[in-house]
Amino acid sequence: MPKKTKPFRKTTHSNSSNSKPLKPANAQTRTYEIPDHRLERPNFTVRQVRKDDQVRYEVTGDVSAPVPPIRESKYLTKPQHIEIYRWMLLNRKMEAALENLYKQSKVVGGVYFGLGQEACSCASAYALSKDEWLGPMIRNQGSLLVRGFPARDVMMQYMAKAGSPTKGRDASSHFGDIQDRNVVAPISTLGDLIPVLAGVALGARLQGKNIAVMTYIGDGGQSTGVTYEGLNFAAVQNLGLVLFVENNLWGYSTPSDMQFRVKDLAERAIAYGIPGVIIDGTDACQVYDAAHEACERARRGEGPTLIEAKMMRMKGHAIHDAAEYVPKPLFEYWKKRDCITRFENYLVNVKRWLTPEENRQLVQDVDRQLEADRDAAVSSPMPAPETAVPGAYCENGCHTIKPKYAMPKVRLGKSGLKRSEAAVHLK
Amino acid sequence: MQLTYLEAIRQGIWEEMERDPSVFCIGEDIGIYGGAFKVTDGFIDRFGPERVIDTPIAEQAIVGAAFGASLTGMRPVAEFQFMDFIGCAFNQISNMVAKAHYRWGAPAPLVLRGPSGGNVHGGPFHSQNPEMWFVHNPGLKVVCPSSAYDAKGLIKAAIRDNNPVIFFEHKYLYRRIKEEVPPDDYIVPIGKARVARQGRDLSVITYAAMVHTALEAAEQLAKEGIEIEVVDLRTVSPLDRDAIASTVRKTNKVILLHEHARTGGLAGEISAIINEEAFEDLDGPIIRITSLDTPVPFSPPQEEFFLPKVSDVVREARKLRAY
Repeated sequence: MPKKTKPFRKTTHSNSSNSKPLKPANAQTRTYEIPDHRLERPNFTVRQVRKDDQVRYEVTGDVSAPVPPIRESKYLTKPQHIEIYRWMLLNRKMEAALENLYKQSKVVGGVYFGLGQEACSCASAYALSKDEWLGPMIRNQGSLLVRGFPARDVMMQYMAKAGSPTKGRDASSHFGDIQDRNVVAPISTLGDLIPVLAGVALGARLQGKNIAVMTYIGDGGQSTGVTYEGLNFAAVQNLGLVLFVENNLWGYSTPSDMQFRVKDLAERAIAYGIPGVIIDGTDACQVYDAAHEACERARRGEGPTLIEAKMMRMKGHAIHDAAEYVPKPLFEYWKKRDCITRFENYLVNVKRWLTPEENRQLVQDVDRQLEADRDAAVSSPMPAPETAVPGAYCENGCHTIKPKYAMPKVRLGKSGLKRSEAAVHLK
Repeated sequence: MQLTYLEAIRQGIWEEMERDPSVFCIGEDIGIYGGAFKVTDGFIDRFGPERVIDTPIAEQAIVGAAFGASLTGMRPVAEFQFMDFIGCAFNQISNMVAKAHYRWGAPAPLVLRGPSGGNVHGGPFHSQNPEMWFVHNPGLKVVCPSSAYDAKGLIKAAIRDNNPVIFFEHKYLYRRIKEEVPPDDYIVPIGKARVARQGRDLSVITYAAMVHTALEAAEQLAKEGIEIEVVDLRTVSPLDRDAIASTVRKTNKVILLHEHARTGGLAGEISAIINEEAFEDLDGPIIRITSLDTPVPFSPPQEEFFLPKVSDVVREARKLRAY
């Protein structure tokens, strides 16, 4: 054993400023800007340490900082603030109801939570207009609510009911709607929605309309190759993709310090040649403002934006995972920054846009709605076994395919079909 | 008009783009360059860079973007420079695209097309026949034409289909075969086989370039008085079960011939169909003629050894006839 032990991987966040790049005397230094809208900049590191023959994650850095205020929104009206707050409440309470349904053995499989990330899901989706598109990830159940799916749809998905949007064929947030709500169903592998949403924007552009399309990726999921391919394609084609990189610090059980080496994932935007911004993902106003600006860029045909939202996943990967690997001080730090508690305080005590009584009414109203949704979901039937059969193919006129926005305008050149045979690869 | 197999595909896509503004092409080097094999040569001048889109070298992005566009009601035709590279996009195809209609009722009217097949000394990464990766994937249709006429009719049918269609063009056939292809707007239905040659003694069920191997063998065998029937499947998913059963009922003896590896190959699936549909009609063992269970070798003598040949069909047909 060597006498001196050191972590096998250095995980400070200051690597980019500390390292000395090779720089010839006459070289120009190029600089790039990543706007950071946060009102605090947490600076701590998670690394693997060996203690008493066990390897554990340990946090180093200051976790005692005071909780920052909510940043004033440049765009949201008073009623819009309250509407977003309501969606966030519905999101959280729906997931609490799902946890109870799980404990009552009414859920088939597991439950995924967006606890602590409700501001990011709800305020981002809120920035899209009705005819724009969204592709949620597993924790963005709140985005689905904002896009117009009732809570009972999510609940029926988890309970594998016949009336679920996928008629029992898939679980969780894995559903969509190409007709009215413009939502692409996610798949379990990560990053695959990014080129798909870019393609949605491409389809719309061919039909004469620049739209914003939004999807999400985590600090874990952004490690995948398809993330690069999709975002680079969107950048090259100048498509209106709004990519939320939800840096919730944990990819299942792996800390973000072991997923990437850059200080902030927003820096990745530089490499794609697109704007990147950093926001506090627990501040609904910051989330909305960044989403709104990115959507406006998209609608002007100016291309994609990468938004890194920083926060923490406040539960395990799914319900089976107690997240015991997460150092306790991190939970304490982020619990103080809870997105709903802070937004509620902002609306009731700072802005006084909601009286305590109005707030109580609103909460009650959400509870009542959820209860009705839960009852409807619980009492709906399971699918008949043989309904597993149809639908692998679109046949017998089950769908009519037609351009959603407008028939693409055709501009034909004069040249005709080529008959010549040029030199080719492999004869 | 006499058209090569490649020209027939080009004409088919061209006609569909003329007919339907929602059809567009996307892929690597398909624009000004016209594609690695020049299938889309001249398309960008006619239809513009909006509808003939050159992409980064990123197969996952190509398939993902094609799927996304199809969700808005477009009909993308995505090119792979070689079908060997389709593996890069396998997750998009298998998990995203193929399952979409079943999971959440989203039709995916897209075509993924490109050159496959060997006998051109392309080596392990430019010669494969990866159709079985997709045959075992409910939700996809898989098409492998053997003639210029079929290639045009099938690419048009694939573009009009409301399901994702993987369209394997055999690169050995691109410029080697030529036939009269009507200038009219016709389609060849997906899922229907054809009898490429009538015969009474035994059947060879095959598709793509191997149809020509079987037809050549049939010529030789006819001189010996052995009349073989050649069934060209044209579509390998969904398989035409009726056509398979009816040729077995007619000749009672069958050889299954394909260019991809033996183990887990299509011949196994067709054998099972014969077992289910026409077991009582068999008068001999089902014979498989396939390539080796190896990657496709590069050197011409090795590749020739690897691929099924006319002499293999002749030899096995004589044996089966005598059984």
